[in-house]
Amino acid sequence: MGEGKSEVLQGTLDLMVLKTLYAMGPQHGFGIARRIEQVSEGVLDLNEGTVYTALLRLQQQGWIASKWGTSENNRRARFYSITKQGAKQLQRETENWERVAGVMDRVLRLERQR
Amino acid sequence: MSKIRTLWSKVKGQALQAREDEAFDEEVREHIALLERRYQAQGMSAHEASKAALRQFGNVTFLKEKQREQRGVLSLAEWGRDVRFGMRMLTKRPALNAAMILALALGIGANTTVFSVVDAVLLRPLPYAHPERLVEVQSADEMAGFEGGSVSYPDFFDWRAQNHSFDHLVSYHDASLTLTGVQGALHLNGEVVSWDLLPLLGVSPELGRGFRPEEEKAGARVVLLSHALWASQFGSERSIVGQTIHLSGDAYTIAGVMPATFQFPVDAPQISFWTTLAVDNNGTTQAQTANRGDHEMSVIGRLKPGVTLAQADADMTAIAARLAKQYPDTNIRHNSARVEGELRAKLGDTRTLLLLILGAVGLVLLIACGNVGNLLLVRARERERELAMRAALGANRARLVRQLLVESVMIGVLGGAAGCALAFLSTPAVLRLIGDSVPRAVDAGVNLPVLGFALAISVLSGLMFGLVPAITSARGDLLSPLKEGGRSDTGGQHQLGSVVIAGQVALGILLTASAGLLVTSFIHLTHTNQGFNPDHVLTLLFETPESRYANTRAEFYREYFEKLRALPGVQSAAGSILLPMTDNSAHVSFENPEHPLPKGQLESAMVDLVSPGYFQTMEMPLFAGRDFSDSDTLQSQQVMIVNQAFAAKFFPGEVALGKKLKPGFSNGPSQPPAWRTIVGVVGNIRTVATQRETDPMYYLPASQLPGACCMYTVARTSMDPLALEPEVRSLLASMDPDIPISDVRTMHDRIGLELAQPRFAMVLLAAFAGLALVLTLVGLYGIMAYSVARRTREIGVRLALGATRPMVLQMVLRQAAVLILIGSGLGIAGALASGSMLRAFLYGTGARNPVVLASVWVLVGVTGLLAAYLPARKAMRVDPSMALRCE
Repeated sequence: MGEGKSEVLQGTLDLMVLKTLYAMGPQHGFGIARRIEQVSEGVLDLNEGTVYTALLRLQQQGWIASKWGTSENNRRARFYSITKQGAKQLQRETENWERVAGVMDRVLRLERQR
Repeated sequence: MSKIRTLWSKVKGQALQAREDEAFDEEVREHIALLERRYQAQGMSAHEASKAALRQFGNVTFLKEKQREQRGVLSLAEWGRDVRFGMRMLTKRPALNAAMILALALGIGANTTVFSVVDAVLLRPLPYAHPERLVEVQSADEMAGFEGGSVSYPDFFDWRAQNHSFDHLVSYHDASLTLTGVQGALHLNGEVVSWDLLPLLGVSPELGRGFRPEEEKAGARVVLLSHALWASQFGSERSIVGQTIHLSGDAYTIAGVMPATFQFPVDAPQISFWTTLAVDNNGTTQAQTANRGDHEMSVIGRLKPGVTLAQADADMTAIAARLAKQYPDTNIRHNSARVEGELRAKLGDTRTLLLLILGAVGLVLLIACGNVGNLLLVRARERERELAMRAALGANRARLVRQLLVESVMIGVLGGAAGCALAFLSTPAVLRLIGDSVPRAVDAGVNLPVLGFALAISVLSGLMFGLVPAITSARGDLLSPLKEGGRSDTGGQHQLGSVVIAGQVALGILLTASAGLLVTSFIHLTHTNQGFNPDHVLTLLFETPESRYANTRAEFYREYFEKLRALPGVQSAAGSILLPMTDNSAHVSFENPEHPLPKGQLESAMVDLVSPGYFQTMEMPLFAGRDFSDSDTLQSQQVMIVNQAFAAKFFPGEVALGKKLKPGFSNGPSQPPAWRTIVGVVGNIRTVATQRETDPMYYLPASQLPGACCMYTVARTSMDPLALEPEVRSLLASMDPDIPISDVRTMHDRIGLELAQPRFAMVLLAAFAGLALVLTLVGLYGIMAYSVARRTREIGVRLALGATRPMVLQMVLRQAAVLILIGSGLGIAGALASGSMLRAFLYGTGARNPVVLASVWVLVGVTGLLAAYLPARKAMRVDPSMALRCE
C-alpha cells in the first residue's frame, strides 16, 4: 500500500462502524465512511464499499437496524442506527480491544534482553 | 442465539434476494453520487470526480457478489458447482456409491411402503364432514373394568334424549337381507341405523333424500342403496328413487342412492344398503327396540361445537350410571360409558401395531444410515488429501463441510428415488398381505404425501449420515495429509465407525428379537389345537327368511341336512348359528337354581345354536351324555349341551349331566325361556383364532328354537371342500330358488382370515429384521475389511516380528467380537425393555422369551463373526515383505 497508509485490520471495521453509529446517531453509509476518514486523518486505506459489507454483517447479527431516509442530495438513502444489543456488543468489543491493545503495547515495549 | 438470528436473516435474505439487490444498488449509487458531489466541490471536473469516486468506493461488482453471498445461505452458482462436483465424485467410486445408494433404497423403500399404509389408515381423516368431532360411544362396566360394550335400543334412546354433548347420536348394527325380484336372489350386507345418520356424518345422497325422523317408527321400511348396488342391480336408473324393492320378503321404499365414495361404517366396505331401526320394531312391547336387555347396537355421535371428549365422556358416564340405578335388572353390568375418537375406536390395537411396525422400519433406516455413514467415513479418509488441497487453496471449513453435505444429501436423494421405486413395487404386495385385516388399508398407495415423506426422510438421512463424517473430516488435521507419506492416523474416525457398528448390532438384535417373538407367536397360533378339526370342512351361509319360514324352519333344515349328507363326498354335515371363526358370538345369561342370583347379575356364557351331528362334523369330542338328535323337538324335553370349561366353571367337582338351567333364550315374544336339562358334555374350542383361553360355552338345539336364524352349513368332505359348492347350490335351489348362498369358505380359509393381522405383522417384522441383519453384517464386514486394509503395514510388522498367523486371525476376530458383544448386550437389554410393547400381539410366548433371545444372540454372533472372518483371513495372509514395501 505504501504512502504511509495502513490497511484496515480484519474485524476492526465492524467495531469502528458500531462506535461511529453509537457516537453520532443514525448515519447512512456515506456518512459513516466520512466519519471514519475524518477520525483516521487519512491514515487508513479504506475502500468505502467494504463499509457496506460490515453493515450487512452487523445487521444480520441484530446489532444495528436500518431504515430509509433522505440524503443531502435529497434522494433515498438507508440510515443505520445502533440497537440495544449493538450497544452491549460495542462495550464487550471495546473492552476486548483495549485488553488486546494493552497486551500488544506491552509486548512491543519489551526491551531487548541479552 | 446470535447464530440463529444470523441464519434467519440469511434465509430471509435468500428469499428476498432480488429486492435486496435492488435496494443495495440504490444505496451504492447514492453513496457514489455523494462522493462525486464532494470531489466536484473540491474543484474536480465531473469526469474526474466520477473516476475518483469509483476509485474511492472500490470494486462495485465484487462487492455486490460478496453481499449477495453473505446475504443468502449460498448462491445458486455455488450450489450448481457443489452439485456438479458431487456428481463427479459419485461416478468416481461407482461400486462404493452404489452400495450406499442400495442400502438407502432398501431403508427408504421399506419406510415409504409402511408409511403409505400408515397414511391411509391413521393419518387420513375419516371421509365425513369435520371428522375430528365424530366419536364412538360404548357402554362399560366400571366394576369389572370392561369397556367397549354394545348398547340396547332403550338405553340408546335414553342416551339420545338425555345427553347435552352431541348434535347427533346414531345407533347402528349389521344386518344381512336377501334381495329378490332381481336376476336371482341376492344376499346383501346392510346397516340398520337411526334416522339422522347422514346429518351426523355431514354427507348427502347422490340421488334422492336421507331418512326422516318419522321413518324410525314401527312399520316404516325405507332404504338407501349403495352406489355399487344401484349400478349392478338397477342399471344406474335415476327413476329408482321412490320405487319399491323386496328385502327378505318385506317391501322397502328406496329413499335414495349414496355416492360411490360413501362408506359407513368405515371398517365395513361391503355394505349395500342402509335402513332405519324401524325394522327392529314390530310395534309390540317385546320388540328389539323395547328390549333393554338386548345389548347389540354400536353408537356414533357428533360432538357439539366446543364440547370436549372429556366433557362428553363425563356426560355419558353419568347417564349410564343413572340408567343402571333405574334398571338394575338389565343395566347393572352396563353402568358406565366411554367416549372415544371415532377413528381411534375403529382401529383399536391395530393402531398400536401399525405404529410398532413404523418404529421397526424406522430402525431399519437408521441401520442403513449407519452403513452409509461408515462408508462415507472411509471415503472421507481416502479424500483427506483432496480436502487438504482444497483447504490449502483457500476453501474455508464451512465450505468443505457444505461440499461434503451436498454430496451426502445427493446420495440420500438418489437412494430415496430408488426407494420410491421399490415402494411402488412392494406396496401392492404388502396390501395383499394385509388383506381386510386393517380397516382403510385398501386405500393405501404411493401418493403425493407419501412421496413427500420419502423425500423428507431421504434428505434427512442424507444430512444425518453426512454431517458427522463431513464435520470430522473438515475439522481434522488438514495439513498433515499433504506431508510426505500422507498417512496420518486419525483414530477418532475409526472409533466412530466402531460405535456405529455396535449400535447397528444392537438395533439388529432388537428387531430380530421382536420378529422372533412374533414368529414364535404365529407358529403357536397356527399349531394350536382349535378343539375341532378344520381339515376338509366347507362352510357357507344362507338365510331362511322369516316371512316364509317362521313355522317351517326346523323342518326345512332337517330335510336340507339329510339331503346334504346324502351327497357323494360328504362325510357329515350340520349347522351352527354362531359358527367359530366367523366373528359372530353371543353371550347369553342363564338362571341356575343351585346358585340363584338377582336378575341383572346372572351368570352368562358363550352360546351357539346347532343342529344334530354338529359335534361329529367338527370332530369335537363328546365326553359324556349324547348329541342332539332329530327327536329333540319343541314338544320333547328341552335340552342343552355344555363344554368342559362350562362344566368346570359352573359345576366344579360335580357331574354336569342332568343339571337344569334356564338360558335366557326363547322362541319369540310370547313364549318364556324354558328350563333345559344338560344332556351332554363336549370338548372346548376356540371360537376366535387369536383367543387366549377357551371359554365356557353351551349349545342349544336349533330345532327347539326355530325362531332363530340363520345357520351356517358345516360339511366335512372326503374331497376338496370347495368342489362341493356347486352341488350344495343346486341342492338348495331345488328346495327354494329364492335363497342365495353367501360366504362360502373352507374352515382353513376362515382361520387364515382371522390370522391375517398377526401374519402380516410377523411377515413385515421378519422381513425388516432380515434386512436389518443383512445391513448390519455388510456394515460389519465393511468396517473390518477397511480396518484390515488400513492395518496392513502394522500386521506386516507384527508378522515380521514373529507373530504367528493364527495370532493375527485371532486379533482381528477379537476386535469384531468385542463390537458384537457390546452391541448385542445393548440390543438384548433393549429387547428386554421394549418387549412389553409387543405383549398385546403375542400368543403362547411371553414378551421376554429366553429361547428367542438366545437364538437371536447366537444367530447374530455367528453370522457376525462369519462376516468378520473374511477380512480376518485376508489379514492372516498378509505378506510381511509386501506390506512393508508398499506405503
